[in-house]
Amino acid sequence: MVRPPADWTERSHDLSRLLARAGLGDRAAFATLYERTSPHLLAVVLRINRDRAQAEDILQEVYVNVWRAASSFDAAQSQPLTWLTSIARNRAIDSLRRLQTQPRMRAGAPSSDGRDNEDDDVYDTVADESPGPLELLSRATEARSLAACMEQLSATQRQSVALAFFQGLSHAEVAAQMRQPLGTIKSWVRRSLATLKSCLDVALHGDIAKRGQ
Amino acid sequence: MDYGHRDRADALAAEYVIGTMRGGARRRFESLLPAHAVLREAALAWQERLMPLTAVLEPVPPSGEVWRRISDRLDRRKSVVAGTWQRLSFWRGLSALATVATIGLAVLLAVPRAVAPPVVVVLAATDAAASGAATPPLVASISGDGTTLVTRPITPVAVRPDRSLELWAVPTQGAPRSLGVLPGGGGVVALRGNVLVGADTLAVTVEPAGGSPTGKPTGPIVYAGKFSL
Repeated sequence: MVRPPADWTERSHDLSRLLARAGLGDRAAFATLYERTSPHLLAVVLRINRDRAQAEDILQEVYVNVWRAASSFDAAQSQPLTWLTSIARNRAIDSLRRLQTQPRMRAGAPSSDGRDNEDDDVYDTVADESPGPLELLSRATEARSLAACMEQLSATQRQSVALAFFQGLSHAEVAAQMRQPLGTIKSWVRRSLATLKSCLDVALHGDIAKRGQ
Repeated sequence: MDYGHRDRADALAAEYVIGTMRGGARRRFESLLPAHAVLREAALAWQERLMPLTAVLEPVPPSGEVWRRISDRLDRRKSVVAGTWQRLSFWRGLSALATVATIGLAVLLAVPRAVAPPVVVVLAATDAAASGAATPPLVASISGDGTTLVTRPITPVAVRPDRSLELWAVPTQGAPRSLGVLPGGGGVVALRGNVLVGADTLAVTVEPAGGSPTGKPTGPIVYAGKFSL
């Protein structure tokens, strides 16, 4: 089942209440928050760090931090699901930094011919049934305004954004995946983000104006 | 570099949130967040733009073990906090729950860091300060080198004209040390020498105008929060 971005805000409403209660030390509310959000956050973390055991360790750190920080969560500044997802992504990205200083390990099946993974296609390392980053991006953009905004990007720009965002790849890694010079990738990502920003901001303000009428 | 420049801040925040900003640059960016509202706002805006993209991911339920481990850690934490409070007779009567809100810089965007960043302390309003409705907390940020402290009331703190709010560092052992009278509407407090050494709690009391005449807290505690440097 694909959950449309439309109910991101809707889900956030209940979560705000749970988070506020957790901030006051309500463990039961925190447990409910965990039940409702941990499958999403684990999915986010697993996209970036595919080692299941490490991903679950990261998830544990995320929720311990959320418990400590719950009282400082400001619903006026951020939607709860956005806040939680950001914490999880940050932790996952940090775990990649630590991984780079350690022998590289992968959970699940190693590549069958044992060749160096420099040349692996990122899609090969994703379990067969899971969609690639580009497909995820296209699903994510089913929401009207995002779709319209994504239209303004070229196919290659879209792919660079998808690899960076969903897989947590660095510029250099995106460049290797797409077999493009680093500078080109940097400018694609930068320009894509600038385009998305202006387009989404216009769309968002349009929606607010409509709702206001 | 001028991090207050909006376009520059926005471009950096975008790279940070999408995740292509890595290593030292990423840590530096995070250490700048507490002090740079423009960067913080830009990062929050990018999070709101991009995080909903993850809504399409198929949820993956974690194993039951994860929750058990989280739960154990919260239990351990709770008993440590309780022990600390029992030592602080000064604090009797406070709601422990309201006062344990301690956060590192990270909480602003939620990643703890090793690079001596400012330490953000949330001082929760105590029962003495509460007047029916929930009183917002006071936020204090201690510079990474421990020399200055900046307070930022979320809403202006109301005190009678003949009273001042005084800030105290409370050591785990010994008497609270005055850090001075809180500037109205928030401001910078210079920290003398090792005034924070051994302290793990910041507290605010209501004192006669100009501060406690005795050098010790005399009035009710209206805000308190724990921290560690």
